[in-house]
Amino acid sequence: MTQPTTLADATQLAQDIEHHLNQVLIGQQQVVREVLIALVSGGHVLIEGVPGLGKTLLVRSLGKVLELDFNRIQFTPDLMPTDVTGHAMYDQKSEQFRIRRGPAFTQLLLADEINRAPAKTQAALLEVMQERQITIEGKAFTLNEPYMVLATQNPLDQEGTYPLPEAELDRFLFKVLIDYPDHADETRLVNMVLDGTIRASLDVESLTHVTDAAGLKAMKTLSDSVLIDDEVLDYALRIVRATRDFSGLSHGASPRASIALARASRVQALFEGRDFVTPDDVQQVARPVLRHRIQLSADAEIEGQTPETALGRLLEQVEAPKQ
Amino acid sequence: MELEKASARLAPRSPWQAVDLGTKLYRQWAAPMLWVWLAFTLVPFGLMLGWSLLADTLWPLFLFWWLKPLWERPLLAWYSHALFAETLTLKQLFQRWRQYALPGLASQLTWRRFSPARSFNTCVWQLEGAKGEQLSQRLRALNSYPSNRAGIMTIVVLHLEQFMAMGLMVLLYTLVPWQFSLEWSDWFYDQSALQMAIASATLYLVMCVTEPLYVACGFALYLNKRTWLEGWDLQLGLTRLGRHRATRTGATVLMLLALLLPLPEPATAQPAPRNEEQQQVIELLAGPDYMPFEERTERQWKNRDDGNNSWLEEFWKHFFDNLDDDEKPEPSSRPFDIPDAVLWILFWTLFAGLAIWLLIKVLDQLGLGSRNRDNTPVIPTHVAGMDIRRQSLPKNLRQAVETALAANDIRLALSLMLRSALANLLRRYPVALAAGSTEQQCLRNLKATHGEPLPILYLQRLTQAWISTAWAHRPVDTDAVRTLLADWEQISTEEAAHA
Repeated sequence: MTQPTTLADATQLAQDIEHHLNQVLIGQQQVVREVLIALVSGGHVLIEGVPGLGKTLLVRSLGKVLELDFNRIQFTPDLMPTDVTGHAMYDQKSEQFRIRRGPAFTQLLLADEINRAPAKTQAALLEVMQERQITIEGKAFTLNEPYMVLATQNPLDQEGTYPLPEAELDRFLFKVLIDYPDHADETRLVNMVLDGTIRASLDVESLTHVTDAAGLKAMKTLSDSVLIDDEVLDYALRIVRATRDFSGLSHGASPRASIALARASRVQALFEGRDFVTPDDVQQVARPVLRHRIQLSADAEIEGQTPETALGRLLEQVEAPKQ
Repeated sequence: MELEKASARLAPRSPWQAVDLGTKLYRQWAAPMLWVWLAFTLVPFGLMLGWSLLADTLWPLFLFWWLKPLWERPLLAWYSHALFAETLTLKQLFQRWRQYALPGLASQLTWRRFSPARSFNTCVWQLEGAKGEQLSQRLRALNSYPSNRAGIMTIVVLHLEQFMAMGLMVLLYTLVPWQFSLEWSDWFYDQSALQMAIASATLYLVMCVTEPLYVACGFALYLNKRTWLEGWDLQLGLTRLGRHRATRTGATVLMLLALLLPLPEPATAQPAPRNEEQQQVIELLAGPDYMPFEERTERQWKNRDDGNNSWLEEFWKHFFDNLDDDEKPEPSSRPFDIPDAVLWILFWTLFAGLAIWLLIKVLDQLGLGSRNRDNTPVIPTHVAGMDIRRQSLPKNLRQAVETALAANDIRLALSLMLRSALANLLRRYPVALAAGSTEQQCLRNLKATHGEPLPILYLQRLTQAWISTAWAHRPVDTDAVRTLLADWEQISTEEAAHA
């Protein structure tokens, strides 16, 4: 199994993984890139999109290509916190309490339609996401690295859902928007299914392992060595700070967003084959880092603005780094 | 016009009593008026709504609203005949369209479009057919003091129309199933085609009620004014009296013949009957039918002797005194001594300004406006945080770069060159850039807009050197900087020669 030792190796490995995933998830290059950046950065991802766009397929493919464990939880209104994390159960045979581990004990956790579960179940994921450990009956269990939660939510059909609280949203490194593929990509997808190139069930059996947890960890270590100039870092901070007093926003991003932006910019540079970060890298990852961390003011919502349009204006107005 | 055929009693009334009569007329003929309205407007409205939806613009609907004076003409034609016991069919209305729709229409659709007394004045144009100076005299006579209150009536109906439309929108909103999760703001302010269609259809439905009402009230005010000025009530009374007299004279003659036949003395003409008839006329005119005695309360502006009226009082007094067209109040009642000419110029200036503004908007909408023709992007003053204004750049670039190189400040040298290159290239190759645009975005935009001519390829090399030095902390060597500087000077020389 390939393990990168240099930045060039890491870039090559990243591009290989990206290539493999794009073979299965057709027409979603941007989504694949953002999810991989989040994975290498050690963050979690909130994916928003209508059903049928391949969210589950993406996670399964990711698990296959990276040889990582994968679990899926379908969040429902009656889902309990112990259904996610696990619980202690009495074993009559041994006459002892035995820990029954929940589906959160994995490496890639797909929390499908996370906003359908009530707040206490959503909160059960907080510790898992932040501390990367699960406490059952007072005993803490550390999770295997890498660990990533990919939560999905449907932008439509909001009736009977429980919007994620800001504290939990802040735990997600990226919010990735997954949209319909364009006409050409959709045509290619349908043709491939009709030709038998890929099966209609879009299974991931044809995918091969590209690397493993160790390779991913090496990539993460190498990404930490990517240079970020003081001016560029200052630019990233100015973008985040601008969200706090920007017209049209009632709530800005936290310092956690600044850390996320800097970290994701480094991985973005690595994916681009550079050992240094440019202002363009910061701009590339600013939207997924910030779009779920800002809140529009009532006036802006009435005017029909969205977080995307507000961030677009913000990025146009925050001056790029000076010489 | 055969007044005796009128189905309403023509008597002098106050303006608001006349409006009541108009309301009564509308209630009497609401159903036929609805058909007339629908027959003349439904198809145009449908076409203009369709046009609006297809072109995603409000202008066709605005045009339908602007043509309201035209749509009101058939309504008035129908009312004017129906009042005198002649019912026009839709076919007749369509056949006579040119006769009643065209007189005065051009002025009503242009400079008189916003006349508050439209409902009243339309009757003069349409029913009397006067033209030129005769029309002006007629309008002056009919709009003379006391006011006919047509202006205030227009304001009342305008508000009625808007409130009814809003009410109908609210009613429809309450009927939308909650599963649609429709926001209140979306329902009223959304720019979508569905919202435009619903709002327009709602207003049209309301106009099905308000337009016939408005026309009926204006017509009633017109009849009332003519009754006051031309004594229609007297005319009718005398006509009735004439008939009564003819009947009574016949009976009297027969009776006199019966009485006179046995008399031995020759009969002579007696003056008494003549005096009796005169007395009857006087009594009739003084009777309750023609000289109604009624208790009436009126409010009038009282001129204070001390002249300390507040500005608000003066304003409202002036507003109400001048609300109706061509009203000529007594000079002594004018609170402000503003010459008519000044008011006239002010009005026409505002009207011309509005018309020009509308014209510009229409041209812009059609893609013919100046804004659409001039698509040249504005040259930015800063790119990637770098000031690229000419005054901020050194006069002698080579000297400034050499000074920076002598100080081993490669970053400053490249920065000066990049600013200078951008300042020149963006004037020759303009592109749209924002304050947050990075140097790479600038390069991408230049390539996307202008391709890859030599100066832009040079900028690419320079940007790469800059990125390597500034962001990768791998400064290029001084020779590379000098090569870039020499290349830039050569490009500048060639550009200057070419220019």
